[in-house]
Amino acid sequence: MAASVVTWAGLAAFGRACGRIRSRLLGSSSTLSPVSCLHTSTELNSKHWERKNLVVYPPQQKDELRRPAEIYHCRRQIKYSKDKMWYLAKLIRGMTIDQALTQLEFNDKKGAKIIKEVILEAQDMAVRNHNVEYKSNLYIAESFSGKGKYLKRIRYHGRGMFGIMDKVHCHYFVKIVEGVPPKVEQKTGFDQAKEYVEQLRNRTIIHSL
Amino acid sequence: MSLSGLLQYVGRSLQHLELRLAQAAGFDSFGPALAVNGPQILPQSLHSSDEENSEPSFLDSIFWMAAPKKRRTIEVNRCRRRHPNKLIKVKYNIEPCPSCGNMKLKHTLCGFCYEKVSKETAMIRKQISVMEGGPLNTPAVESVVLYENETPSEADKDKRIVERNRKRPYWFNM
Repeated sequence: MAASVVTWAGLAAFGRACGRIRSRLLGSSSTLSPVSCLHTSTELNSKHWERKNLVVYPPQQKDELRRPAEIYHCRRQIKYSKDKMWYLAKLIRGMTIDQALTQLEFNDKKGAKIIKEVILEAQDMAVRNHNVEYKSNLYIAESFSGKGKYLKRIRYHGRGMFGIMDKVHCHYFVKIVEGVPPKVEQKTGFDQAKEYVEQLRNRTIIHSL
Repeated sequence: MSLSGLLQYVGRSLQHLELRLAQAAGFDSFGPALAVNGPQILPQSLHSSDEENSEPSFLDSIFWMAAPKKRRTIEVNRCRRRHPNKLIKVKYNIEPCPSCGNMKLKHTLCGFCYEKVSKETAMIRKQISVMEGGPLNTPAVESVVLYENETPSEADKDKRIVERNRKRPYWFNM
């Protein structure tokens, strides 16, 4: 979990091991050819989810279906646990934006207020920058949380023991799409069982007569 | 086997395994050590002599605490964490407030309407405190709140009048 009880000796050994690993890595990278490390990151501060908003598609043909507008938004380094945030992200997946906002408004968790702000920002961005006509005609296509950078602190135990406490942070990502949310078919247990039996029946025996 | 012999054996085995816990009564500074769970050493067997030899070691196990046998895999953890009874339930008792249009819970007052009323009440209370000046100066009569361009009516003859410098809010009816 977040805290672990260690001894002084253990920590010293860990430090020595870290030094050894670091020197080994440095040693190995100097012998690698230049082609094999291709970590090309363009700008210093641009992360993937924010860059998805910059994608520009070529103009559509007359007979093509209208491509629904997609808006990507996120908030980084929120002082909250990623596991607790996941429950809220799971709650609003697939809902219309208004339904998601009402559910978050009446939820008592700390992350609910933060997610509500993020979604309102995204809605505003959609109307201003992404050519969305009606601000209610949006739904949450994707919503999930990720681990942010943790700060480490010391938690004091008895008998001179200490543990390392993690000050948890998380990121929250949301993708909002214009239009009516797609209907997700609810599969019953009976349907799943039927599918399984069909899969078993469709198997063929190779190299048989 | 005698009871005292058993106790002596137990004490010695605990001593053998955790030397520091054995000297908890008179704590010698051996420095911080790995925190191991175990019971307090029995006082008799602190200074027991080596009379009997080692007993079979299964007797140790009675005194140890419960510990997980195997690491819980992420699949098992996910089944527990994502079980429907742990997911947040969708609330179906939300409806729009008839007066302001914001959403509210069915059995609760609308937050927006409550906020606007409480703000006006705070201004009225501030006015009253200005009128009274200090604590314990409340007159023994009723109070009535009058807004701009309002005169006290017949029923308000004996009441204390609290003036507010704004027009009457639409929701504050007599």
